Amino acid sequence: MTLREFISDRLDRLLLQAVCAAVAAFFLRATGTQSGVLVILFLALLLFFSGVQLADFLRQRARLRELTAILNGLDEKYLFAECIPSPRNLYERRLFDLTRTAERAMTSAVSDARAAQGEYREYVERWVHEIKAPITAAQLICRELDGEKRRKLTGELARIEEHVERALFYARAENPERDCIIRHTDLSEIAAQAIGNHRTLLIQSGVRVETQGLDCFVYTDGKWAAFILGQLLQNAARYRGEGPVVSISARPLGKQVQLTVADNGIGIPAHELPRVFDRGFTGSNGRARGGSTGMGLYLCKKLAGSLALGLNIASEVDAGTTVTLTFPAKESL
Amino acid sequence: MPKIIIVEDDPAIREELALLLENEGYQASVVTEFTGVPEQVLRAAPDLILLDLGLPVRDGMSLCADIRRSSRIPIIFVTSRDSSGDELRALSLGGDDYITKPYNIPVLLARIRAVLRRSGGPAEPDTLEAGNLTLHLTRGTASAGDRSVELTRNELKILAHLMSRTGEIISRADLIDALWDSQIYIDDNTLSVNMTRLRSKLDEIGLPGLIKTRRGMGYQL
Repeated sequence: MTLREFISDRLDRLLLQAVCAAVAAFFLRATGTQSGVLVILFLALLLFFSGVQLADFLRQRARLRELTAILNGLDEKYLFAECIPSPRNLYERRLFDLTRTAERAMTSAVSDARAAQGEYREYVERWVHEIKAPITAAQLICRELDGEKRRKLTGELARIEEHVERALFYARAENPERDCIIRHTDLSEIAAQAIGNHRTLLIQSGVRVETQGLDCFVYTDGKWAAFILGQLLQNAARYRGEGPVVSISARPLGKQVQLTVADNGIGIPAHELPRVFDRGFTGSNGRARGGSTGMGLYLCKKLAGSLALGLNIASEVDAGTTVTLTFPAKESL
Repeated sequence: MPKIIIVEDDPAIREELALLLENEGYQASVVTEFTGVPEQVLRAAPDLILLDLGLPVRDGMSLCADIRRSSRIPIIFVTSRDSSGDELRALSLGGDDYITKPYNIPVLLARIRAVLRRSGGPAEPDTLEAGNLTLHLTRGTASAGDRSVELTRNELKILAHLMSRTGEIISRADLIDALWDSQIYIDDNTLSVNMTRLRSKLDEIGLPGLIKTRRGMGYQL
Protein backbone atom coordinates (compact mmCIF):
# COMPACT_ATOMS: atom_id res chain seq x y z
CA MET A 1 0.00 0.00 0.00
CA THR A 2 1.40 3.31 -1.00
CA LEU A 3 0.69 6.70 0.59
CA ARG A 4 -1.19 7.79 -2.51
CA GLU A 5 -3.45 4.72 -2.34
CA PHE A 6 -4.03 5.38 1.35
CA ILE A 7 -4.99 9.02 0.72
CA SER A 8 -7.27 8.23 -2.19
CA ASP A 9 -8.89 5.55 -0.03
CA ARG A 10 -9.60 8.13 2.72
CA LEU A 11 -10.35 11.09 0.46
CA ASP A 12 -13.97 11.42 1.65
CA ARG A 13 -12.93 11.59 5.31
CA LEU A 14 -10.14 14.08 4.63
CA LEU A 15 -12.51 16.29 2.63
CA LEU A 16 -15.06 16.20 5.47
CA GLN A 17 -12.38 17.33 7.92
CA ALA A 18 -11.39 20.17 5.55
CA VAL A 19 -15.02 21.27 5.23
CA CYS A 20 -15.48 21.16 9.03
CA ALA A 21 -12.33 23.24 9.50
CA ALA A 22 -13.57 25.77 6.91
CA VAL A 23 -16.99 26.06 8.60
CA ALA A 24 -15.34 26.45 12.04
CA ALA A 25 -12.99 29.13 10.64
CA PHE A 26 -15.95 31.01 9.12
CA PHE A 27 -17.87 30.83 12.43
CA LEU A 28 -14.86 31.97 14.52
CA ARG A 29 -14.17 34.82 12.07
CA ALA A 30 -17.81 35.93 12.24
CA THR A 31 -17.72 35.89 16.03
CA GLY A 32 -14.64 38.17 16.00
CA THR A 33 -11.63 35.91 16.46
CA GLN A 34 -8.47 37.59 15.17
CA SER A 35 -7.04 36.23 11.92
CA GLY A 36 -3.59 35.66 13.51
CA VAL A 37 -5.14 33.31 16.08
CA LEU A 38 -7.06 31.59 13.30
CA VAL A 39 -3.87 30.87 11.31
CA ILE A 40 -2.13 29.44 14.38
CA LEU A 41 -5.20 27.33 15.17
CA PHE A 42 -5.38 26.11 11.54
CA LEU A 43 -1.70 25.12 11.46
CA ALA A 44 -1.94 23.28 14.79
CA LEU A 45 -5.02 21.42 13.57
CA LEU A 46 -3.30 20.50 10.27
CA LEU A 47 -0.27 19.18 12.11
CA PHE A 48 -2.42 17.13 14.48
CA PHE A 49 -4.61 15.63 11.72
CA SER A 50 -1.66 14.76 9.45
CA GLY A 51 0.16 13.14 12.36
CA VAL A 52 -2.82 10.96 13.17
CA GLN A 53 -3.34 9.96 9.53
CA LEU A 54 0.34 9.21 9.00
CA ALA A 55 0.46 6.98 12.09
CA ASP A 56 -2.63 5.22 10.82
CA PHE A 57 -1.03 4.71 7.42
CA LEU A 58 2.15 3.25 8.92
CA ARG A 59 0.20 0.91 11.14
CA GLN A 60 -1.95 -0.38 8.30
CA ARG A 61 1.02 -0.83 6.04
CA ALA A 62 2.93 -2.82 8.68
CA ARG A 63 -0.14 -5.00 9.26
CA LEU A 64 -0.56 -5.73 5.57
CA ARG A 65 3.11 -6.56 5.24
CA GLU A 66 2.89 -8.93 8.19
CA LEU A 67 -0.11 -10.76 6.66
CA THR A 68 1.56 -10.95 3.23
CA ALA A 69 4.68 -12.45 4.81
CA ILE A 70 2.54 -15.12 6.54
CA LEU A 71 0.80 -15.95 3.27
CA ASN A 72 4.07 -16.17 1.37
CA GLY A 73 5.50 -18.50 3.98
CA LEU A 74 2.71 -21.03 3.47
CA ASP A 75 3.00 -24.00 1.10
CA GLU A 76 -0.74 -24.54 1.16
CA LYS A 77 -1.97 -20.98 0.64
CA TYR A 78 -5.54 -21.89 1.39
CA LEU A 79 -4.59 -22.54 5.02
CA PHE A 80 -3.96 -18.76 5.42
CA ALA A 81 -7.02 -18.13 7.55
CA GLU A 82 -5.81 -20.70 10.10
CA CYS A 83 -2.50 -18.91 10.48
CA ILE A 84 -3.49 -15.25 10.79
CA PRO A 85 -2.54 -13.47 14.05
CA SER A 86 -5.19 -12.45 16.56
CA PRO A 87 -7.33 -9.55 15.41
CA ARG A 88 -6.56 -6.04 16.67
CA ASN A 89 -10.04 -4.64 16.59
CA LEU A 90 -13.65 -5.59 16.08
CA TYR A 91 -13.59 -4.92 12.36
CA GLU A 92 -10.56 -7.17 11.82
CA ARG A 93 -12.08 -9.86 14.00
CA ARG A 94 -15.23 -9.94 11.89
CA LEU A 95 -13.24 -10.00 8.66
CA PHE A 96 -11.03 -12.81 9.89
CA ASP A 97 -14.06 -14.80 11.03
CA LEU A 98 -15.59 -14.48 7.57
CA THR A 99 -12.35 -15.59 5.90
CA ARG A 100 -12.05 -18.52 8.24
CA THR A 101 -15.58 -19.71 7.58
CA ALA A 102 -15.00 -19.48 3.83
CA GLU A 103 -11.73 -21.37 4.17
CA ARG A 104 -13.28 -24.17 6.20
CA ALA A 105 -15.98 -24.66 3.59
CA MET A 106 -13.28 -24.81 0.92
CA THR A 107 -11.03 -27.21 2.87
CA SER A 108 -13.85 -29.61 3.43
CA ALA A 109 -14.77 -29.46 -0.27
CA VAL A 110 -11.14 -30.19 -1.15
CA SER A 111 -10.86 -33.08 1.28
CA ASP A 112 -14.15 -34.54 0.04
CA ALA A 113 -12.83 -34.38 -3.51
CA ARG A 114 -9.55 -36.01 -2.43
CA ALA A 115 -11.35 -38.80 -0.61
CA ALA A 116 -13.59 -39.40 -3.63
CA GLN A 117 -10.54 -39.52 -5.89
CA GLY A 118 -8.78 -41.94 -3.53
CA GLU A 119 -11.85 -44.16 -3.40
CA TYR A 120 -12.11 -44.15 -7.17
CA ARG A 121 -8.45 -45.06 -7.49
CA GLU A 122 -8.90 -47.90 -5.03
CA TYR A 123 -11.92 -49.10 -6.96
CA VAL A 124 -9.99 -49.06 -10.23
CA GLU A 125 -7.17 -51.06 -8.64
CA ARG A 126 -9.57 -53.57 -7.15
CA TRP A 127 -11.44 -53.81 -10.43
CA VAL A 128 -8.19 -54.48 -12.29
CA HIS A 129 -7.39 -57.33 -9.89
CA GLU A 130 -10.90 -58.75 -10.27
CA ILE A 131 -10.88 -58.62 -14.06
CA LYS A 132 -7.62 -60.54 -14.13
CA ALA A 133 -9.31 -63.68 -12.80
CA PRO A 134 -11.71 -64.11 -15.76
CA ILE A 135 -8.93 -63.19 -18.20
CA THR A 136 -6.75 -65.91 -16.67
CA ALA A 137 -9.60 -68.42 -16.81
CA ALA A 138 -10.33 -67.48 -20.45
CA GLN A 139 -6.67 -67.99 -21.36
CA LEU A 140 -6.66 -71.41 -19.77
CA ILE A 141 -9.88 -72.38 -21.56
CA CYS A 142 -8.50 -71.04 -24.84
CA ARG A 143 -5.78 -73.67 -24.75
CA GLU A 144 -8.33 -76.35 -25.60
CA LEU A 145 -9.28 -74.70 -28.91
CA ASP A 146 -7.74 -75.55 -32.25
CA GLY A 147 -4.78 -73.60 -33.61
CA GLU A 148 -6.22 -70.70 -35.58
CA LYS A 149 -9.09 -69.84 -33.22
CA ARG A 150 -6.79 -70.12 -30.24
CA ARG A 151 -4.31 -67.71 -31.77
CA LYS A 152 -7.02 -65.17 -32.58
CA LEU A 153 -8.59 -65.35 -29.14
CA THR A 154 -5.23 -65.22 -27.41
CA GLY A 155 -4.49 -62.09 -29.41
CA GLU A 156 -7.73 -60.44 -28.30
CA LEU A 157 -7.15 -61.43 -24.68
CA ALA A 158 -3.69 -59.91 -24.90
CA ARG A 159 -5.27 -56.65 -26.09
CA ILE A 160 -7.65 -56.65 -23.12
CA GLU A 161 -4.67 -57.17 -20.85
CA GLU A 162 -2.82 -54.24 -22.36
CA HIS A 163 -5.75 -51.91 -21.67
CA VAL A 164 -6.18 -53.26 -18.16
CA GLU A 165 -2.49 -52.72 -17.38
CA ARG A 166 -2.65 -49.14 -18.60
CA ALA A 167 -5.68 -48.45 -16.38
CA LEU A 168 -3.83 -49.92 -13.41
CA PHE A 169 -0.70 -47.89 -13.95
CA TYR A 170 -2.74 -44.75 -14.60
CA ALA A 171 -4.25 -45.19 -11.13
CA ARG A 172 -0.86 -46.00 -9.62
CA ALA A 173 0.91 -43.03 -11.15
CA GLU A 174 -1.37 -40.73 -9.13
CA ASN A 175 0.44 -41.52 -5.91
CA PRO A 176 3.63 -43.33 -6.70
CA GLU A 177 4.91 -43.38 -3.12
CA ARG A 178 2.42 -46.15 -2.32
CA ASP A 179 3.42 -48.72 -4.93
CA CYS A 180 6.85 -47.83 -6.16
CA ILE A 181 9.76 -49.63 -4.50
CA ILE A 182 13.19 -48.79 -5.88
CA ARG A 183 15.57 -51.72 -5.62
CA HIS A 184 18.72 -53.14 -7.12
CA THR A 185 17.11 -55.00 -10.03
CA ASP A 186 18.38 -57.26 -12.78
CA LEU A 187 17.82 -55.48 -16.10
CA SER A 188 17.64 -58.75 -18.04
CA GLU A 189 14.72 -59.82 -15.84
CA ILE A 190 12.89 -56.56 -16.51
CA ALA A 191 13.38 -57.09 -20.24
CA ALA A 192 12.31 -60.75 -20.09
CA GLN A 193 9.19 -59.75 -18.17
CA ALA A 194 8.27 -57.00 -20.63
CA ILE A 195 8.88 -59.24 -23.65
CA GLY A 196 6.99 -62.11 -22.01
CA ASN A 197 4.00 -59.88 -21.26
CA HIS A 198 3.72 -58.82 -24.89
CA ARG A 199 4.86 -61.96 -26.62
CA THR A 200 1.49 -62.66 -28.22
CA LEU A 201 1.43 -59.25 -29.91
CA LEU A 202 5.10 -59.44 -30.88
CA ILE A 203 4.93 -62.96 -32.30
CA GLN A 204 1.69 -62.31 -34.16
CA SER A 205 3.16 -59.12 -35.63
CA GLY A 206 6.19 -61.10 -36.80
CA VAL A 207 8.59 -58.98 -34.76
CA ARG A 208 12.07 -60.26 -34.02
CA VAL A 209 13.52 -59.06 -30.72
CA GLU A 210 17.24 -58.77 -30.26
CA THR A 211 18.75 -58.24 -26.85
CA GLN A 212 22.26 -57.17 -26.06
CA GLY A 213 24.24 -56.34 -22.94
CA LEU A 214 21.30 -56.65 -20.56
CA ASP A 215 23.28 -58.51 -17.92
CA CYS A 216 23.53 -55.61 -15.52
CA PHE A 217 21.75 -54.19 -12.51
CA VAL A 218 19.81 -50.94 -12.23
CA TYR A 219 18.11 -49.07 -9.40
CA THR A 220 14.42 -49.05 -10.17
CA ASP A 221 11.04 -50.65 -9.53
CA GLY A 222 11.07 -53.74 -11.76
CA LYS A 223 7.30 -53.77 -12.36
CA TRP A 224 7.14 -50.14 -13.36
CA ALA A 225 10.20 -50.35 -15.59
CA ALA A 226 8.76 -53.48 -17.25
CA PHE A 227 5.52 -51.59 -17.88
CA ILE A 228 7.40 -48.71 -19.54
CA LEU A 229 9.46 -51.09 -21.65
CA GLY A 230 6.26 -52.96 -22.55
CA GLN A 231 4.63 -49.78 -23.89
CA LEU A 232 7.68 -49.23 -26.10
CA LEU A 233 7.50 -52.81 -27.39
CA GLN A 234 3.78 -52.37 -28.13
CA ASN A 235 4.52 -49.24 -30.13
CA ALA A 236 7.29 -51.02 -32.02
CA ALA A 237 4.87 -53.82 -32.94
CA ARG A 238 1.97 -51.48 -33.80
CA TYR A 239 3.92 -49.06 -35.95
CA ARG A 240 6.11 -51.65 -37.64
CA GLY A 241 7.47 -51.64 -41.16
CA GLU A 242 8.74 -54.47 -43.32
CA GLY A 243 10.70 -57.24 -41.53
CA PRO A 244 10.23 -55.69 -38.09
CA VAL A 245 13.10 -55.91 -35.62
CA VAL A 246 13.28 -54.40 -32.13
CA SER A 247 16.64 -54.27 -30.49
CA ILE A 248 16.95 -53.78 -26.75
CA SER A 249 20.45 -52.98 -25.62
CA ALA A 250 22.08 -51.54 -22.53
CA ARG A 251 25.38 -49.87 -21.77
CA PRO A 252 26.84 -48.27 -18.67
CA LEU A 253 27.08 -44.49 -18.69
CA GLY A 254 29.28 -43.55 -15.75
CA LYS A 255 27.26 -44.74 -12.77
CA GLN A 256 24.07 -44.69 -14.79
CA VAL A 257 22.82 -47.35 -17.18
CA GLN A 258 21.40 -46.46 -20.55
CA LEU A 259 18.81 -48.75 -22.11
CA THR A 260 18.05 -48.27 -25.78
CA VAL A 261 14.97 -49.63 -27.51
CA ALA A 262 15.32 -49.21 -31.27
CA ASP A 263 12.91 -50.35 -33.97
CA ASN A 264 12.91 -50.18 -37.76
CA GLY A 265 9.28 -49.10 -37.94
CA ILE A 266 7.44 -46.35 -39.78
CA GLY A 267 8.80 -43.59 -37.53
CA ILE A 268 7.25 -40.35 -36.25
CA PRO A 269 7.22 -37.06 -38.23
CA ALA A 270 9.65 -34.52 -36.74
CA HIS A 271 6.96 -31.91 -36.02
CA GLU A 272 4.95 -34.41 -33.94
CA LEU A 273 7.90 -35.64 -31.91
CA PRO A 274 7.76 -32.94 -29.20
CA ARG A 275 4.15 -33.86 -28.41
CA VAL A 276 4.30 -37.67 -28.28
CA PHE A 277 4.45 -37.66 -24.48
CA ASP A 278 1.34 -35.47 -24.19
CA ARG A 279 -1.79 -37.01 -22.76
CA GLY A 280 -4.14 -38.22 -25.49
CA PHE A 281 -1.84 -37.28 -28.36
CA THR A 282 -2.23 -39.85 -31.14
CA GLY A 283 -0.46 -38.19 -34.08
CA SER A 284 -0.86 -38.94 -37.76
CA ASN A 285 0.29 -42.57 -37.34
CA GLY A 286 -2.25 -43.23 -34.60
CA ARG A 287 -5.05 -41.65 -36.63
CA ALA A 288 -4.10 -43.56 -39.77
CA ARG A 289 -3.98 -46.88 -37.94
CA GLY A 290 -6.79 -46.41 -35.46
CA GLY A 291 -6.92 -47.97 -32.02
CA SER A 292 -4.38 -45.58 -30.57
CA THR A 293 -5.21 -44.27 -27.11
CA GLY A 294 -2.54 -41.62 -26.76
CA MET A 295 -1.96 -42.87 -23.21
CA GLY A 296 1.05 -45.20 -23.53
CA LEU A 297 3.88 -42.71 -23.84
CA TYR A 298 2.12 -40.23 -21.57
CA LEU A 299 2.10 -42.84 -18.81
CA CYS A 300 5.72 -43.74 -19.57
CA LYS A 301 6.74 -40.12 -19.02
CA LYS A 302 4.74 -39.87 -15.82
CA LEU A 303 6.09 -43.11 -14.34
CA ALA A 304 9.62 -42.28 -15.49
CA GLY A 305 9.38 -39.08 -13.45
CA SER A 306 8.67 -41.07 -10.28
CA LEU A 307 11.56 -43.45 -11.02
CA ALA A 308 14.00 -40.59 -11.80
CA LEU A 309 14.38 -42.28 -15.16
CA GLY A 310 15.56 -40.26 -18.14
CA LEU A 311 13.29 -40.76 -21.16
CA ASN A 312 14.24 -39.54 -24.63
CA ILE A 313 12.90 -40.26 -28.06
CA ALA A 314 14.38 -39.84 -31.52
CA SER A 315 12.72 -40.86 -34.74
CA GLU A 316 12.96 -40.68 -38.48
CA VAL A 317 10.06 -41.34 -40.84
CA ASP A 318 10.41 -44.72 -42.64
CA ALA A 319 13.61 -45.49 -40.74
CA GLY A 320 12.54 -46.17 -37.17
CA THR A 321 12.24 -44.88 -33.64
CA THR A 322 14.79 -45.05 -30.84
CA VAL A 323 13.83 -44.53 -27.22
CA THR A 324 16.52 -44.15 -24.60
CA LEU A 325 15.90 -44.86 -20.93
CA THR A 326 18.59 -43.65 -18.55
CA PHE A 327 18.49 -45.41 -15.20
CA PRO A 328 19.78 -43.23 -12.36
CA ALA A 329 22.88 -43.95 -10.30
CA LYS A 330 22.21 -45.07 -6.74
CA GLU A 331 23.61 -41.83 -5.31
CA SER A 332 21.09 -39.64 -7.10
CA LEU A 333 18.06 -41.40 -5.63
CA MET B 1 4.82 -88.04 -10.87
CA PRO B 2 5.18 -84.77 -8.88
CA LYS B 3 2.10 -83.84 -6.93
CA ILE B 4 0.88 -80.26 -7.07
CA ILE B 5 -1.87 -78.79 -4.90
CA ILE B 6 -3.80 -75.74 -6.09
CA VAL B 7 -5.12 -73.26 -3.52
CA GLU B 8 -7.28 -70.92 -5.60
CA ASP B 9 -10.79 -69.63 -4.93
CA ASP B 10 -11.88 -68.98 -8.53
CA PRO B 11 -13.51 -72.28 -9.62
CA ALA B 12 -12.93 -71.73 -13.36
CA ILE B 13 -9.21 -71.09 -12.92
CA ARG B 14 -8.88 -73.89 -10.38
CA GLU B 15 -10.43 -76.53 -12.64
CA GLU B 16 -8.67 -75.43 -15.82
CA LEU B 17 -5.34 -75.22 -14.06
CA ALA B 18 -5.75 -78.74 -12.63
CA LEU B 19 -6.60 -79.98 -16.12
CA LEU B 20 -3.56 -78.26 -17.59
CA LEU B 21 -1.22 -79.69 -14.96
CA GLU B 22 -2.59 -83.19 -15.42
CA ASN B 23 -2.07 -82.91 -19.18
CA GLU B 24 1.51 -81.93 -18.44
CA GLY B 25 2.03 -85.09 -16.42
CA TYR B 26 1.59 -83.82 -12.89
CA GLN B 27 -0.78 -85.14 -10.29
CA ALA B 28 -2.98 -82.16 -9.46
CA SER B 29 -5.31 -81.74 -6.51
CA VAL B 30 -7.40 -78.74 -5.49
CA VAL B 31 -8.51 -77.13 -2.25
CA THR B 32 -12.22 -76.27 -2.33
CA GLU B 33 -12.86 -75.62 1.36
CA PHE B 34 -10.97 -72.63 2.68
CA THR B 35 -10.99 -73.30 6.40
CA GLY B 36 -8.00 -75.12 7.77
CA VAL B 37 -6.03 -74.82 4.54
CA PRO B 38 -2.58 -75.44 6.10
CA GLU B 39 -3.78 -78.74 7.61
CA GLN B 40 -5.37 -79.82 4.32
CA VAL B 41 -2.20 -78.98 2.41
CA LEU B 42 0.10 -80.76 4.86
CA ARG B 43 -2.12 -83.82 4.88
CA ALA B 44 -1.96 -84.00 1.07
CA ALA B 45 1.87 -83.83 1.28
CA PRO B 46 2.39 -82.36 -2.21
CA ASP B 47 5.70 -81.62 -3.94
CA LEU B 48 4.58 -78.08 -4.76
CA ILE B 49 1.87 -75.65 -3.68
CA LEU B 50 0.30 -73.10 -6.02
CA LEU B 51 -1.08 -70.45 -3.69
CA ASP B 52 -3.39 -67.54 -4.51
CA LEU B 53 -3.13 -64.39 -2.38
CA GLY B 54 -6.71 -63.13 -2.23
CA LEU B 55 -8.54 -66.04 -0.62
CA PRO B 56 -11.69 -66.25 1.48
CA VAL B 57 -11.24 -66.81 5.23
CA ARG B 58 -7.49 -66.20 5.26
CA ASP B 59 -5.08 -64.34 3.06
CA GLY B 60 -2.47 -66.33 1.12
CA MET B 61 0.38 -64.52 2.89
CA SER B 62 -0.68 -65.71 6.32
CA LEU B 63 -1.30 -69.22 4.99
CA CYS B 64 2.23 -69.26 3.60
CA ALA B 65 3.69 -68.17 6.93
CA ASP B 66 1.66 -70.88 8.65
CA ILE B 67 2.75 -73.64 6.26
CA ARG B 68 6.36 -72.51 6.54
CA ARG B 69 6.32 -73.04 10.28
CA SER B 70 6.16 -76.78 9.81
CA SER B 71 7.16 -77.52 6.23
CA ARG B 72 9.64 -76.68 3.46
CA ILE B 73 7.29 -77.70 0.60
CA PRO B 74 7.97 -75.26 -2.25
CA ILE B 75 5.30 -72.57 -2.66
CA ILE B 76 4.62 -70.57 -5.83
CA PHE B 77 2.33 -67.59 -5.38
CA VAL B 78 -0.06 -67.16 -8.29
CA THR B 79 -1.92 -63.90 -7.88
CA SER B 80 -3.40 -60.89 -9.61
CA ARG B 81 -1.75 -58.52 -7.11
CA ASP B 82 1.27 -57.34 -8.95
CA SER B 83 2.93 -54.55 -7.00
CA SER B 84 6.58 -54.90 -6.05
CA GLY B 85 5.59 -54.55 -2.42
CA ASP B 86 3.31 -57.60 -2.50
CA GLU B 87 5.97 -59.63 -4.28
CA LEU B 88 8.68 -58.66 -1.79
CA ARG B 89 6.46 -59.53 1.15
CA ALA B 90 5.39 -62.86 -0.33
CA LEU B 91 8.96 -63.93 -1.04
CA SER B 92 10.18 -62.81 2.38
CA LEU B 93 7.49 -65.01 3.98
CA GLY B 94 9.07 -68.05 2.38
CA GLY B 95 7.48 -68.20 -1.07
CA ASP B 96 9.73 -69.76 -3.73
CA ASP B 97 8.39 -67.82 -6.70
CA TYR B 98 5.77 -65.21 -7.51
CA ILE B 99 3.75 -65.28 -10.72
CA THR B 100 1.12 -62.71 -11.61
CA LYS B 101 -2.19 -63.33 -13.34
CA PRO B 102 -2.97 -63.42 -16.15
CA TYR B 103 0.02 -65.62 -16.69
CA ASN B 104 1.50 -66.93 -19.81
CA ILE B 105 0.90 -70.68 -19.69
CA PRO B 106 4.33 -71.81 -20.99
CA VAL B 107 5.97 -69.39 -18.55
CA LEU B 108 3.94 -70.78 -15.65
CA LEU B 109 4.93 -74.36 -16.57
CA ALA B 110 8.59 -73.38 -16.91
CA ARG B 111 8.59 -71.75 -13.47
CA ILE B 112 6.91 -74.82 -11.95
CA ARG B 113 9.61 -77.03 -13.49
CA ALA B 114 12.35 -74.72 -12.22
CA VAL B 115 11.03 -74.68 -8.64
CA LEU B 116 10.60 -78.47 -8.60
CA ARG B 117 14.14 -78.88 -9.91
CA ARG B 118 15.56 -76.56 -7.25
CA SER B 119 13.74 -78.43 -4.53
CA GLY B 120 15.47 -81.64 -5.53
CA GLY B 121 13.00 -83.14 -7.94
CA PRO B 122 14.24 -85.34 -10.77
CA ALA B 123 16.96 -83.60 -12.75
CA GLU B 124 16.21 -82.74 -16.36
CA PRO B 125 17.98 -85.18 -18.66
CA ASP B 126 21.21 -83.93 -20.17
CA THR B 127 20.75 -85.85 -23.40
CA LEU B 128 17.81 -86.44 -25.71
CA GLU B 129 17.64 -89.38 -28.07
CA ALA B 130 15.59 -90.09 -31.17
CA GLY B 131 16.56 -93.00 -33.36
CA ASN B 132 20.27 -92.68 -34.16
CA LEU B 133 20.43 -89.06 -33.09
CA THR B 134 21.69 -88.03 -29.66
CA LEU B 135 21.46 -84.41 -28.51
CA HIS B 136 23.85 -83.27 -25.74
CA LEU B 137 22.09 -80.31 -24.17
CA THR B 138 24.87 -78.89 -21.98
CA ARG B 139 27.63 -79.46 -24.55
CA GLY B 140 25.44 -78.13 -27.37
CA THR B 141 26.27 -80.90 -29.81
CA ALA B 142 24.33 -83.44 -31.85
CA SER B 143 25.82 -86.80 -32.70
CA ALA B 144 24.97 -89.90 -34.69
CA GLY B 145 27.29 -92.88 -34.45
CA ASP B 146 30.84 -91.46 -34.24
CA ARG B 147 30.04 -88.24 -36.06
CA SER B 148 29.25 -85.13 -34.11
CA VAL B 149 28.43 -81.50 -34.91
CA GLU B 150 28.24 -78.32 -32.85
CA LEU B 151 24.94 -76.43 -32.77
CA THR B 152 24.13 -72.81 -32.04
CA ARG B 153 21.75 -72.01 -29.17
CA ASN B 154 18.82 -71.50 -31.56
CA GLU B 155 19.48 -74.75 -33.44
CA LEU B 156 19.84 -76.64 -30.19
CA LYS B 157 16.48 -75.40 -28.88
CA ILE B 158 14.70 -76.12 -32.17
CA LEU B 159 16.05 -79.66 -32.30
CA ALA B 160 15.36 -80.27 -28.61
CA HIS B 161 11.75 -79.19 -29.04
CA LEU B 162 11.24 -81.44 -32.08
CA MET B 163 12.92 -84.36 -30.32
CA SER B 164 10.75 -83.98 -27.21
CA ARG B 165 7.71 -84.55 -29.42
CA THR B 166 8.96 -87.17 -31.83
CA GLY B 167 6.37 -88.16 -34.42
CA GLU B 168 4.11 -85.16 -33.77
CA ILE B 169 3.62 -82.50 -36.40
CA ILE B 170 4.70 -79.20 -34.91
CA SER B 171 3.47 -76.04 -36.62
CA ARG B 172 5.85 -73.18 -37.26
CA ALA B 173 3.76 -70.98 -34.96
CA ASP B 174 4.04 -73.48 -32.10
CA LEU B 175 7.75 -73.82 -32.71
CA ILE B 176 8.22 -70.05 -32.56
CA ASP B 177 6.13 -69.99 -29.38
CA ALA B 178 8.34 -72.63 -27.80
CA LEU B 179 11.51 -70.77 -28.78
CA TRP B 180 10.22 -67.57 -27.18
CA ASP B 181 9.85 -69.53 -23.93
CA SER B 182 13.60 -70.10 -24.06
CA GLN B 183 14.15 -66.35 -24.60
CA ILE B 184 14.95 -66.80 -28.27
CA TYR B 185 12.84 -64.05 -29.77
CA ILE B 186 12.81 -64.96 -33.46
CA ASP B 187 10.38 -64.37 -36.31
CA ASP B 188 9.25 -66.62 -39.13
CA ASN B 189 12.10 -65.74 -41.50
CA THR B 190 14.78 -66.32 -38.88
CA LEU B 191 13.21 -69.67 -38.10
CA SER B 192 13.53 -70.65 -41.78
CA VAL B 193 17.18 -69.64 -41.83
CA ASN B 194 17.90 -71.59 -38.64
CA MET B 195 16.01 -74.59 -39.96
CA THR B 196 18.05 -74.65 -43.18
CA ARG B 197 21.32 -74.48 -41.22
CA LEU B 198 20.16 -77.17 -38.79
CA ARG B 199 19.25 -79.49 -41.65
CA SER B 200 22.59 -79.07 -43.37
CA LYS B 201 24.36 -79.81 -40.04
CA LEU B 202 22.29 -82.98 -39.63
CA ASP B 203 23.21 -83.79 -43.20
CA GLU B 204 26.91 -83.57 -42.18
CA ILE B 205 26.51 -86.27 -39.54
CA GLY B 206 24.70 -88.53 -41.94
CA LEU B 207 21.10 -87.82 -41.10
CA PRO B 208 19.67 -86.13 -44.20
CA GLY B 209 15.92 -85.72 -44.26
CA LEU B 210 15.55 -86.35 -40.53
CA ILE B 211 13.34 -83.31 -40.11
CA LYS B 212 10.44 -83.66 -42.51
CA THR B 213 8.44 -80.69 -43.74
CA ARG B 214 4.71 -81.32 -43.81
CA ARG B 215 3.48 -78.77 -46.27
CA GLY B 216 1.03 -76.32 -44.75
CA MET B 217 1.21 -78.03 -41.36
CA GLY B 218 4.68 -77.82 -39.94
CA TYR B 219 7.66 -80.01 -39.11
CA GLN B 220 7.95 -83.57 -37.98
CA LEU B 221 10.85 -85.62 -36.72
